[in-house]
Amino acid sequence: MEVEYVEDREDKIVFIIKNVPVALVNSIRRAIIGHVPTMAVDYINVYMNTSFLYDEMLAHRIGLIPLKADIDKYNFQDKCECGGEGCPNCQVSLRLNVEGPKTVYSGDFISDDPEVKPVYDNIPVVELYEGQQLMIEAVARLGTGKEHAKWKPVSICSYKIIPKIEISDCSLCKACVEACPRKILEIKGEKIVVNDILKCSMCMECVKVCEDNAIKVEETDNYLFTIESISMPAKEVLKRAINILKNKAVEMNEILKHINS
Amino acid sequence: MFPVRCFTCGAVIAHLWEEYKKKLAEGKSPKEALDELGIERYCCRRMFLTYKSIINEVARFKGAVG
Ligand code: SF4
Ligand code: SF4
Ligand SMILES: [Zn+2]
Ligand SMILES: [Zn+2]
Repeated sequence: MEVEYVEDREDKIVFIIKNVPVALVNSIRRAIIGHVPTMAVDYINVYMNTSFLYDEMLAHRIGLIPLKADIDKYNFQDKCECGGEGCPNCQVSLRLNVEGPKTVYSGDFISDDPEVKPVYDNIPVVELYEGQQLMIEAVARLGTGKEHAKWKPVSICSYKIIPKIEISDCSLCKACVEACPRKILEIKGEKIVVNDILKCSMCMECVKVCEDNAIKVEETDNYLFTIESISMPAKEVLKRAINILKNKAVEMNEILKHINS
Repeated sequence: MFPVRCFTCGAVIAHLWEEYKKKLAEGKSPKEALDELGIERYCCRRMFLTYKSIINEVARFKGAVG
């Protein structure tokens, strides 16, 4: 297995994994989407809401605001000593107390833990008009994407096959060059060359238009993986997902040992 | 109110909404504004292009009912 970064930013990584079974690549993807915990508002107490949005609508919008947090500091509520009742080890309150006229932003929330705060301060939550008032306590807790999409640590998390394009006995009719929607084929000298194989979508248009059956697009065991993260660095998401997979594999081994003994 | 996240891919987009509005007010086309904000996918782009604020329509009737 080889890993090579194509793009390496804090919030987005694109990398190539070579010679791995597709099941492994997919399990990494699913671990990222479903099992990496993040913090999000899950419950709100509404003491006063005279805005134009219903309480449920507000809860929905507030829940989707991404929160930055040190997630190792907190427990999952169902595995906490408090037995799921809620305590400072498993939940954080964010308070909002505003009066109109004003646009309420995510930055207006006052958090009990200064380390847990919205990633962006300028997400509009609701517009308040003259005389309208909001008094809300939003309760955030750890969760995973398995439960609700608001706990997903990523927006885009996907992989695609990097194909192998083989050309032999080509008559240089140029049909494939024109047919390729990604414009990655080109005639150079006496040959068709592939400019950027990473862009190929495996649409097979080039194969369809080639009358001599000279071009072949084949699947390989190399994958292009893209991760775009939301509330923590993309590399951290990947690291956490792989650790989770590792622990699951260890657990699986224990179960197998138990069955065999 | 402008959706906090893209319906399709889940990327956070609402924090760019006011900047987008400002860019349009400066006379830029939606394409230029979206390109400058770095919104590449068409799912997120349509969120900006097709949004219509209802809350200020409702606000016109404030006091008339309830
Ligand atoms: S499979 Fe599609 S994208 Fe890839 S080279 Fe052929 S025409 Fe272009
Ligand atoms: S369509 Fe086939 S024969 Fe024509 S240039 Fe492409 S590979 Fe060669
Ligand atoms: Zn607890
Ligand atoms: Zn999108």
